[in-house]
Amino acid sequence: MLARDWRGGELGVLLMALVLAVGVVSGISAFATRLQNALTQESHRFLAADLVARSSRALPGEWLQRAEAQGVSQALTLVFPSMVFAGDERMQLVSVKAVSDGYPLRGELTYSEQPFGPVLPAARGPAPGQVWLESRLFPLLDVAVGERITIGEADFTVAAAARTEPDQAASFSGYGPRVLMHYDDIPATGVVQPGSRVQYRQLYAAPPQVLQNFRDWLEPQLEDGQGLLDVSEGQPGIGSALRRAERFLLLAGSLGVVLAGVAIALAARRFSERHTDYVAIMKSLGATSARVNRLYGSSLLLLGVVATALGCLLGWSIQALFFTLFAEQMPVQPGASGPGPYAVGAATSLTCLLCFAWPPLRRLGLASPLRVLRRDLPHENRRTLGDYLVGLVAISLLMWWYSADWQLTLAVLAGLAITALLGLGLALTLLRGGRLVGMSAGSIWRLALAGLQRRGSANAMQVVIFAMAIMLLLVLVLVRTSLIDAWQTQLPEGTPNHFMINIGPQDVQPVDQMLRSQDIPSEALYPMIRGRIMAVNGEQLPRTDDPEAQRRQRETNFTWSDSLPPGNRLVAGQWWPPQTDAALVSVEREFAERMGIQVGDRVGFLVGAQPLEAQVANLRELDWQSMRPNFFLIFPPRLLADYPATFMTSFYLGPDDKPFLNRFIREFPTVTVIEMDVVVEQIRSIVSQVSSAIELVLAVILAAGGLVLIAGVQASVDARMHESAILRALGARRGLVLGGLFIEFAALGLFAGLLATAGAELSVYFLQEWVMDMRYAPSPWIWPLGIGAGMALIGSLGVFSCRKVVSSPPVALLRDL
Amino acid sequence: MAGTELEILKGITLEIKSGEAVAIVGASGSGKSTLLGLLAGLDEASGGRVVIGETDLGELDEDGRALFRGRHVGFVFQSFQLLPALTALENVMLPLELQGLAKAREQAQVFLERVGLGPRMHHYPRQMSGGEQQRVAIARAFASRPSILFADEPTGNLDTHTGAHIIDLLFELNREEGTTLVLVTHDDKLAERCERRLVLEAGELISCQ
Repeated sequence: MLARDWRGGELGVLLMALVLAVGVVSGISAFATRLQNALTQESHRFLAADLVARSSRALPGEWLQRAEAQGVSQALTLVFPSMVFAGDERMQLVSVKAVSDGYPLRGELTYSEQPFGPVLPAARGPAPGQVWLESRLFPLLDVAVGERITIGEADFTVAAAARTEPDQAASFSGYGPRVLMHYDDIPATGVVQPGSRVQYRQLYAAPPQVLQNFRDWLEPQLEDGQGLLDVSEGQPGIGSALRRAERFLLLAGSLGVVLAGVAIALAARRFSERHTDYVAIMKSLGATSARVNRLYGSSLLLLGVVATALGCLLGWSIQALFFTLFAEQMPVQPGASGPGPYAVGAATSLTCLLCFAWPPLRRLGLASPLRVLRRDLPHENRRTLGDYLVGLVAISLLMWWYSADWQLTLAVLAGLAITALLGLGLALTLLRGGRLVGMSAGSIWRLALAGLQRRGSANAMQVVIFAMAIMLLLVLVLVRTSLIDAWQTQLPEGTPNHFMINIGPQDVQPVDQMLRSQDIPSEALYPMIRGRIMAVNGEQLPRTDDPEAQRRQRETNFTWSDSLPPGNRLVAGQWWPPQTDAALVSVEREFAERMGIQVGDRVGFLVGAQPLEAQVANLRELDWQSMRPNFFLIFPPRLLADYPATFMTSFYLGPDDKPFLNRFIREFPTVTVIEMDVVVEQIRSIVSQVSSAIELVLAVILAAGGLVLIAGVQASVDARMHESAILRALGARRGLVLGGLFIEFAALGLFAGLLATAGAELSVYFLQEWVMDMRYAPSPWIWPLGIGAGMALIGSLGVFSCRKVVSSPPVALLRDL
Repeated sequence: MAGTELEILKGITLEIKSGEAVAIVGASGSGKSTLLGLLAGLDEASGGRVVIGETDLGELDEDGRALFRGRHVGFVFQSFQLLPALTALENVMLPLELQGLAKAREQAQVFLERVGLGPRMHHYPRQMSGGEQQRVAIARAFASRPSILFADEPTGNLDTHTGAHIIDLLFELNREEGTTLVLVTHDDKLAERCERRLVLEAGELISCQ
């Protein structure tokens, strides 16, 4: 009997909804998983490893042996500033990086055979006795490949030009152009002595579980001054971008689950309405309720199995399609997602069937056999309050399970609940009011509004369903827009990608002039004084032997300014008036927290050998990822006027303008240039990848939302077709019937759009404030969009679904229905 | 019946003998279909009793009545009431399968041959004319060999010519099977072929000849 029922095509409607639900959910889930893998891998490239231990002193070799024993691969790096000599008088301050054989464990090292030549991937770094120089060092030192240079007490052969390292960003201490050498050559140079400004790193890489075991062992071994870096800590900018992207994908997936549930509920209801008559016939022929339930229960079960299989296939295709579209932008090949996402799809299918499809079908067994004589009997399969509750609980649990985030779940549910409640009340009231207005209007309007009112509660329900679907889509559009905006403002085109420090007071004018003459966009020149905090409110700060802590305390950059620098926000206290003589200081908020400093405290400093005391005037927040000169401590200009200062700035230099640096360094040999362009470019590329991923996911969810709208319109098509057919039979013109239908559906769309927009704003407020760690800003443009889209979409979908009514003879329609 | 509820049938007492053919006639809204629904156990009476053979339908619940219908009752409806998803053969097999009959297919085939639809038994209802659909419905009604057959306006949706054929078929099978026949109709010609005519007016039985 199941197979025969199948051929009727009625089950097909439900099957489609289920397949799409499973497909969307498992597809997005698989896509998100793989994307996450890829992005994590991508960000591991920034460390050149999965995990990094670092210290300013040599790290225990025992750690490496332990890593070896546990199956964790390792490599070593050491970064230090040094002078390089070539020939007799040419020398240059460089940033030396010594790497061991295994380097890099993740990502790619590149070189070129000649300076500025074609970039080639390198299997390993320089061999012992050789060095690679950054391209622009060749002219500075006037050397060529094959010639010799000297670092400390050792001579090296220049073997190639160093181009990029995966962990360029992480080794921020890279002042000056890069020189790469082999780790084993360090002792020969004799430059690295205890107390030198160096950074030792041990790099580790392993599959996640192996790495976790090793990390669990390693963490307790850490002493003061030794630290671990992983992806999230290695790149705070990328870490937060990734976390937000992940949240967004989970949000999108959760909304996919909700939309799927609604679509299935609608399809099941239509299915059961259409089947009430068949059940009546079967019952008149002797079928009991139990028999009917068995029939539909087993149909549903088979349907679930088939739909899950097809849905998983669809999900797999969706994510495969995504990655095909994406392949060119992906720097790393993502690994397989495993069976997890498909389990999510199957669970979604099962839950949807049990909680949304089964309740109306179960009541089919209660259908009265009397319907064979009287077809106007009411349907027995109306949903009860209990059904809605079960559905709500099921959706909540699914969302929670899927997102593993109750805040996100709550934010979406709150928006949905308010939309639904407001919706039912408002829709019923407005639809009643609409009738009064309609009475005095022309016939086409009277027809439409009477139609709306006649099915008042059914229409209210429909408005709520449309509103929920539109709301979910608006939420996604809003969150995506603000997410991408936030990323783009973080590092806009032309973000400064080079820093210049150690500019002597006498060089300030000429440097500024040189930047201007080359049309190089730069930040203002900030004075910079190095000093350290000695005491807070007269209490001496504890001195430890930990070199890291000592350095933090010893070496802090001060600046002075009459005004709050751009990109800084006051969070406590007030900015001082210009030209003040008062001994005040402005402190960065996190720094103040670390030091236990509050507004009004008196803080003692040591600048050079001279003591200085100032009162904390205010606390500031600033964006460390802005690539502008940023300072923990700012003083009024007059207070620091007598202290020795150097100046710094940051500026943007496009890839083609790089040779400018050589001219600049020749002209100002004492100025140090820090090149961050590779880092900025890497961050930008990740952000743009994540952005396109988000756009793709949005497109899929939009499609799912569209399906719900279609299912919603379909649900009422039978009744409306019937009435329209009668109107046609009575001689109504085509325009009147279609116009009436359009007005009727567009009015539903108007109400739905209105509700959806209100609900979306509310949800987005909760999501951004609680979940996304972003500031909420109202989006006025969403109102016309939501309402307009609601009217246009639902109006035209409605007319499209009912178009048959004007193209077929009324009698045929009346007989069919 | 109390309060504002509508009283559709009022004090009807009648007895139909086994093997008898009875027509229930009356104007629209006179309560014919309601009476038929009660007699056939499709509906529950709010008062009074319906006894078929030894069984008091009022003492059965809906599932009990469903089993009873399956075993003892056949139906022919004005609007045919075939399941559109099933072929003619499968429609006829349906009540037999519901009773768990082993030879459902063979028996259904026999009855489809008898109504002259042997060659079309694998067609779907939408591929058949109204007359053919009603013949399928008749085959389905008789295939389970019911002791009593209810027909609700069996010719109501058919033209005169086809209607006459259907009537002939119905009475022919009825005679061969020895079934009790209860017909609701306002077709006088059809009513005349029955042994008795029960005339309903506004829910009351005004004639019983």
